[in-house]
Amino acid sequence: MDLLSNKRIVNLLVCLFFTGVGCNSVEDKIYVNLNYSIPCVRLLNATHQIGCQSSMSGDVGVLHLLESEENLDWVLRSGPNPPYIVILESTLFTRSIMMKLKNGSSRVAGVVVVAPTTNPQEGFSPHNTCPNENTGVYSEDYDPTMAHCNVTVWNPLGNNLSYEEFDFPIFSLKDDNDTQVIRQCYMDHNRAANGSVPQYPLCAMQLFSHMSAVTDTVTCMRRNSINFSINPEDVCDPLGDFNVWASTNPLNNTAKGHKTGETVIIAAARLDSRSFFFDLAPGAESTASGLVTLLAAANALRNFTQDNQLNRTIFYTFFHGETFDYIGSSRMVYDMEDNQFVVDLDNVHSVLEIGQVGLHGDSKLWLHSDPVSRKNSSINEEVMKLINNLTSSAKDLNFSVEEPDVTQPLPPSSLQRFLLARPIPGVVIENHQTSFTNRYYQSMFDNANYLNLSYPPDLTPEEQLNFVTDTAKALTKVATMVARTLFVQAGGDETQSQNIQADDLLVSRMLYSFLVMANNSWLQQLVSSEYANQISNKTTNFYIGVTQMTSEPTFLVQFLLANLTGSTANITKENCKNQKENKDDTDSKDRYSYIWAQGAARPNSTERDGFCVRSTVHVSKAVSPAFEIKEYGSKNYSTWTESRWKQIKGRIFLVASHDLEMLTLGVGVGVLLTSLLLTYFVSSKADMLFSSGREPANATY
Amino acid sequence: MNLERLPNEEKLTLCRKYYLGGFACLPFLWLVNVVWFFKEAFVKPTYTEQTQIKTYVKRSALGLLLWVTVLTTWITIYQHFRAQWGEVGDYLSFTIPLGTP
Amino acid sequence: MTAAVFFGCTFIAFGPAIALFLFTIAREPLRVIFLIAGAFFWLVSLLLASLVWFISVQISNKDSASQQKGLLIFGVVLSVLLQETFRFAYYKLLKKANEGLLALSQEETMPISIRQLAYVSGLGFGFMSGAFSVVNILADSVGPGTVGIHGDSQHYFLSSAFMTMAIILLHMFWGVVFFDACEKQRWWALAAVVTSHLVVSCLTFQNPEYVASLVPTYIILFLMGVWAFYTAGGSLRNLKLCLTCKDKDFLLANHRPR
Repeated sequence: MDLLSNKRIVNLLVCLFFTGVGCNSVEDKIYVNLNYSIPCVRLLNATHQIGCQSSMSGDVGVLHLLESEENLDWVLRSGPNPPYIVILESTLFTRSIMMKLKNGSSRVAGVVVVAPTTNPQEGFSPHNTCPNENTGVYSEDYDPTMAHCNVTVWNPLGNNLSYEEFDFPIFSLKDDNDTQVIRQCYMDHNRAANGSVPQYPLCAMQLFSHMSAVTDTVTCMRRNSINFSINPEDVCDPLGDFNVWASTNPLNNTAKGHKTGETVIIAAARLDSRSFFFDLAPGAESTASGLVTLLAAANALRNFTQDNQLNRTIFYTFFHGETFDYIGSSRMVYDMEDNQFVVDLDNVHSVLEIGQVGLHGDSKLWLHSDPVSRKNSSINEEVMKLINNLTSSAKDLNFSVEEPDVTQPLPPSSLQRFLLARPIPGVVIENHQTSFTNRYYQSMFDNANYLNLSYPPDLTPEEQLNFVTDTAKALTKVATMVARTLFVQAGGDETQSQNIQADDLLVSRMLYSFLVMANNSWLQQLVSSEYANQISNKTTNFYIGVTQMTSEPTFLVQFLLANLTGSTANITKENCKNQKENKDDTDSKDRYSYIWAQGAARPNSTERDGFCVRSTVHVSKAVSPAFEIKEYGSKNYSTWTESRWKQIKGRIFLVASHDLEMLTLGVGVGVLLTSLLLTYFVSSKADMLFSSGREPANATY
Repeated sequence: MNLERLPNEEKLTLCRKYYLGGFACLPFLWLVNVVWFFKEAFVKPTYTEQTQIKTYVKRSALGLLLWVTVLTTWITIYQHFRAQWGEVGDYLSFTIPLGTP
Repeated sequence: MTAAVFFGCTFIAFGPAIALFLFTIAREPLRVIFLIAGAFFWLVSLLLASLVWFISVQISNKDSASQQKGLLIFGVVLSVLLQETFRFAYYKLLKKANEGLLALSQEETMPISIRQLAYVSGLGFGFMSGAFSVVNILADSVGPGTVGIHGDSQHYFLSSAFMTMAIILLHMFWGVVFFDACEKQRWWALAAVVTSHLVVSCLTFQNPEYVASLVPTYIILFLMGVWAFYTAGGSLRNLKLCLTCKDKDFLLANHRPR
């Protein structure tokens, strides 16, 4: 009998005897599963574990909807039915409340945060105050006065919540049907009317987020490698993905190491962000603003770099995993030093990095540079050139760029990893003079709202995609400035640079794709069909994730960069997919990459007119060198790993009172004992009881 | 096998086999020996082979006790200190419970 | 904590059946064999019923509520009829088997009487149907939750357990009455068994008003119990004698080696 019919039989019987018309399984009558729950998961580094976990069989607690901080007393002391699962409105998701819950954790079984619809006014950043403190260039050796954010605390609003460890599960729920069901259940069953104790049955919740890894990366990587149990199981995976890069002059990607006669200007942006929760990392300002600007600048430069052979190569780079101790940039520098990359550090002329550049109505940007390396006069000269370049480009665009105080170190940026290797002239463009102006750095509030990406009401998604917002206009200006600067920096003619202009419609579309919905008609045209169905309907999640999986921003940026910097090539689909210009071509793939983009859909048809895009876009590994050299306790490189888990699930249900449970047990034991006694009595006297027949000893009642 | 039906000599051989077998690090044989032959050794009316069976049962019991003490001590120590031993603890373990230090 | 509910419900549902098994069946291998065989026969009837159900659900219109309800009633009736058919088939088989046993046996009398067989096979039917009706409910009772988030009564587990107990005992009584009716060729008694089975099964359509289904079921249980008691050879006189502890004289008077 196969499983299906087996199940049918059981179902049938349940229907036969116990249910009315609706033939539901018993489980459906008891549990309501939560659909869109986002957990906080466990991450580990060389010395610590952070994040949350439940027990193996899930943590169960009675629901309590927290209304104010004073209300915590019910959870932590006075409530009669511990443990509780606390439902927090996002305004109450603060460090003080979370730490109180953490310390009272014997009475707390879990926390559910209802995702916000509006951002808190006062700001909220669960990151720490000094991001990537120990893996940047500013160590005690480099300059003692600048180490540990001594000069500027970059993220003063950081409350370090993302780096705490909780021994109960914490989930985030979208404010929709699920939370409505929870609220209703709480109101119906758990709400104590003016001080009285709520009556059973009570509404409760169970959260499953058991994490396999524990202690630190050293331990979990060791346990990954122990293979002698019957059923070896990996417990954690390194965080990692791919850096995306493209160059204006095609470089031979198969020949690694130094390229004679080649000088490159690295134009960099970061590709990742994070928040307290696992796959909820909108990163609007901290990530998207910079990468959209760089993509737009690259696009603006396309025509100018193809016609004029510039004497320097512009090298667009998107570093992944920068949030977690510079995974991407440290790996690229490591590979450059190890002659495993297409160029090496000797080829690098200078670095221009675009950080957080959301303008918020302002018209001022700040050019940060490293004061320590600028003590070297030749470096200083190059930095000055770059700054002048930027200043003059900005001047034509009616906004100003300024340098902060010369003694101020660099903000957290990929450039720091280059400086750690050797002094390289470089500038980081940011929208803040000292501390971040971003009030929601690496939090779930760093979203489209915060970037003022607002659309007039009653626009269809298609119209929103093509609507040019003020934010987009501002970023277009920044992109134009970056493009012109890069052009001059690469040896282009200054007067000609005036003609370079970034496209504001393009910027709008990119912002819409990253921050509102990636699955739109425009982006669908640019990607290959293999990736088309991987595009999500939500805002892009900028969390890097583990090495085994390519995160969404990586392939989106890869396709965007290819389409924006490359050109359409007249190549058949088959050759295009095989990375060939024509049948006999074998070496073009060393310098170019080919993508068969889906193209636009024909009207009233699902057929698409695909085309081949030839570009110089490549990816390179963004896995921390610590995992390459197997130094899991490394102090110099990122050691972040993500624990594996089996089940992430939440469900709500009612719990019966202890008395009712005991009553059931009592009745059961009573029935059993009575029937034992009665049967014994009857069977011992069966001869007599059933004596009229020919045969005795038929013991029934 | 029913002990009642065996002649006394065979009981003795059987008991000896179990006793000797226990030395191959098989304490369960001793346990079986003790439980199985306890009545023969101490309860039944005396017969010639009984004294020898008695010695075997006693020695088996002693060996068993030794094993139990050694194993209990080791398991207690191991469970208590495995997490502290770190690397050594992991390499000593056959299966490492997920999500525990 | 809900292990308590699990054990409570298990004891309620299967307590009487376990007690009967321990004191009257377990000691005699032949009875155990016939019990298992009875359970198997019930299982085959269910397999057939579910096959028909499976096919009819596939070809029915899944969106039409009235059609689905009709289908459910059809399924119940079909399943009851199949169960009773298999009870009859089992009776026929046992008659054949009994003749064979008699031929083998060295004694004059049969090793097991048809009345005992009726009781044993009835209990076998009861065991299996009880297990199938309550097992997945019991499985869900181990979890932390209880029924009620959609507004259902939280006495679901308890009433299910009591219903199962009634079904098991009823199957036992039905077995006794049914076999006796076949033996004496009293077809109206057969009809009464089938009708009461149908009534009890259809009573569950009253759920979730558990009182409306449990009370009539227990009334039928009581009536069937009395009937089965008389059928099995019991009488008020015997019961009185038993209860007033005059059994010693009685046994002495009717003493005969077993």
